[in-house]
Amino acid sequence: MADSILVIVEQHEGKLNRVSWETLTAGQALAAETGWTLEAAVAGSGVASLANEVAGKKVAKVYALESPKLEPYTPDAFAAALKQFIASKQPKLVLLPHTYQVRDFVPKLVTAMERAAISDCIGYKKDGNKLLFTRQMFQGKLAADVTFTCDAPWFVTFQNGAFRGDKVEAGSAAAPVETVNIEIADGVVRNKPQEVFKEAKQAVDLTQAEIIVSVGRGIKEQKNIELAKQLAEALGGELAASRPICDSGWLPMDRQIGSSGQTVAPKLYLALGISGAIQHIVGMKGARTIIAINKDSEAPIFEIADYAVVGNLFDIVPPMIEEVKKAKAGA
Amino acid sequence: MLVFRKPLPNIERPQMPADVVIVGGGPAGMACALRLSQLIDQHNANHPDSQLSKENIYVLEKAREIGQHCLSGALLDPRSMRELLPGFEKEAPLDAEVTKEAVYFLTEKSKFKFPITPPPLRDHGNYVISLNRFVKWLGSKVEETGITIFTGFAGSELILDDDRVTGVRTDDKGVDKHNQPKSNFEPGYDLQAKVVILAEGTRGSLTKQLIARFALDRDRNPQTYGQGIKELWEVPAGRIAPGEVIYTMGWPLTTKEYGGAWIYGGKDNVVSLGFVVGLDYPDPRLDPQRVLQEFKKHPLVARLLERGKMIRYGAKSLPYGGWWSIPPLAGNGWMILGDSAGFLNSQRLKGIHLAIKSGMLAAEAAFEALVAKDTSAKQLASYQKKLEESWAGKELWKARNFHVNFKDGLVGGLLRNGLALGLGNFIGKTPTPVENDFETKRPLSEVGGLKDIKQGIPYDGKLFMDKLSDVYLAGSKGEEDQPSHLQVLNKDVCSTDCAETYGNPCTRACPANVYEMVDDESTPGRKKLHLNPTNCVHCKTCDLIDPYINIRWVVPEGGDGPNYSQM
Repeated sequence: MADSILVIVEQHEGKLNRVSWETLTAGQALAAETGWTLEAAVAGSGVASLANEVAGKKVAKVYALESPKLEPYTPDAFAAALKQFIASKQPKLVLLPHTYQVRDFVPKLVTAMERAAISDCIGYKKDGNKLLFTRQMFQGKLAADVTFTCDAPWFVTFQNGAFRGDKVEAGSAAAPVETVNIEIADGVVRNKPQEVFKEAKQAVDLTQAEIIVSVGRGIKEQKNIELAKQLAEALGGELAASRPICDSGWLPMDRQIGSSGQTVAPKLYLALGISGAIQHIVGMKGARTIIAINKDSEAPIFEIADYAVVGNLFDIVPPMIEEVKKAKAGA
Repeated sequence: MLVFRKPLPNIERPQMPADVVIVGGGPAGMACALRLSQLIDQHNANHPDSQLSKENIYVLEKAREIGQHCLSGALLDPRSMRELLPGFEKEAPLDAEVTKEAVYFLTEKSKFKFPITPPPLRDHGNYVISLNRFVKWLGSKVEETGITIFTGFAGSELILDDDRVTGVRTDDKGVDKHNQPKSNFEPGYDLQAKVVILAEGTRGSLTKQLIARFALDRDRNPQTYGQGIKELWEVPAGRIAPGEVIYTMGWPLTTKEYGGAWIYGGKDNVVSLGFVVGLDYPDPRLDPQRVLQEFKKHPLVARLLERGKMIRYGAKSLPYGGWWSIPPLAGNGWMILGDSAGFLNSQRLKGIHLAIKSGMLAAEAAFEALVAKDTSAKQLASYQKKLEESWAGKELWKARNFHVNFKDGLVGGLLRNGLALGLGNFIGKTPTPVENDFETKRPLSEVGGLKDIKQGIPYDGKLFMDKLSDVYLAGSKGEEDQPSHLQVLNKDVCSTDCAETYGNPCTRACPANVYEMVDDESTPGRKKLHLNPTNCVHCKTCDLIDPYINIRWVVPEGGDGPNYSQM
């Protein structure tokens, strides 16, 4: 069997990842340099059309690895399927995009095959007969060339952006597509996929808020945060805080305003029990109207406040909530 | 719940071989790298068949950019720089040559000028510099040689093999508050080095580890320290000439404390102003940052700063112990330089020139060791010998008793040092014993209560600054979601014994408001420790003065810390 390079492309919900094209570009370049045959594979359930899409590029052959157990993705199923397939094909080199999914299953796959992977590479070099793969070290300050000392197949993952996906060469004619039905025995897949977790873009985007109610140390206890929250809700605004509050874990860090948090410029900024250290001020001084409530008449927050209320916030905020509610109901 | 930073256990770390790893890119570390490069170039020119490579020489620097953690007064004695780079004055960033100096003794309202400037404080021929800018320049020289400087990487642990130092582990990046890896986690590197050169500055955390491991402080005086706090001001023209130098002693310190102020005129009407307090102060209520605020009330200072603007702030600790406190300088696979070794002439308030010299001499020893392919203690001992025989060693020997002489207060210190100047270099050939700085603190019951402090500074955000505003001007920044790099070994002590006996001196000694005692909701009436690690300006004072030796300073994630510019 001639030496070959196998690129494993990645798909999500019937769409190929952009990085998959980048890895294919890398595969084409490596194939040109080594003279090895370039093949590609896509794994999943009902991936024939994706395989056809890849077959339009300059590759010798595309495999659609089919199994109902490959959808939805689990690391056990992917490792098992690819192990079978790669063991039967014995490519020299297996290329994958360095995605979260690849980071998830490749260590398992490579360990099961008793091989090694060079991960997160940004390029390659050919040194005589040796293939060197370049990895970044020290956050990109150094580049290390790494090579394999074990037997093939060799596994390499390429970093996002290392190659140009738009430079992938089209084939002169569509490459043949072979569907390979993969048998995955019962009991192999131990993972139970749950609903895909989508990280909220950022739970709150305080920079877009028109009204912000912000709390500082004057709130005293975690349970009192509720009071500020009620005021924010009554006003239709967002809740935010100064550093000590987020530091104590009373509110998540994405609600922190100031030099180590977010910088905001709402129409109205209500500072409850915030002394007004410069670190906080730089994050909110752009607010159009600042109302500050603080027991300490010397608190620096009053220097930038448009309305300064010297008093105990626990006396002032509850009637405020009532008044806001009343006014809103009236309007 | 407070979780403290430590290298993650049981993880695989990338290994990297190195010839020489220099930990710390300050004046000592940079001078060492530069000298090493010069020696290798010379060698390679003369030995075409046995070339040495610079590729495996690395400098680790915890600041995000070169020089960002460097702070000093600063006056530079150019002697060592002239040896390292003859003619350096033509291209180095120097503010002004010293043209005028004066020493004052202050009382609260007036000042007495010393009729003559004591010889050690005569600074003609020295330069006023910004150390931060100077090191940035020196770093660019190092980068030109091809030696790699890893900025943003801190040495977090020494790698040891029996009685040898075999490498340095860098900081783990992307670890959250609970010591768990985050999605951007990157394990620290193990740099396996033939020679590890510690140039971490005062109270280096690897140096501390090394000293403890090999009991390098045995048969020596404990190292004692000072804390220097610096402010940079822009003042109206005509207040002070570039190159004008003023030192003060006395007020606001009492005769029980060691210390004094400096005022240096730089260019463009920028003034460097600062106060150094010996950390052997007995009264746990003392707050060095507050001392500096008091100092600014004095007519001499208030007049200078009137209508000026404070533009920068910073703090560092400095080693005062001198000759009798210097640890062995080299061993199997390691050498110690600069402030880490305690190379400061307390009599002249200068250490940069000694740091540079020590870096150069260590480079010579490292070079000889690489050529001989032997980095044992015996081979590297040549560094110790070179240093002791150099002018730097002689200078340190001459000043050996200056600080110790002040041990019992100002009056005796002045007398003893006056006598020593008169008699020359004959007396005091054995060390006077001293205590560690953490042993000198007296209980509140002996000095007065906490109620006596807190008044009197009219913080206005202009002349008088609170610590949080200061921290802002230090540019301190760091990832908030990471474990605390201030390890407090027993937090209960803070709420109980220390609160009662000493009133938590860390909260005052810290110039950056890292330590706070806040109400403990679970136990009304009691206070608990709250830390603000990202305020830290890396001065290490907390690690030095705590009477319970309860605080350990370790490196945070590389790239964190103050962002000094012009300092």
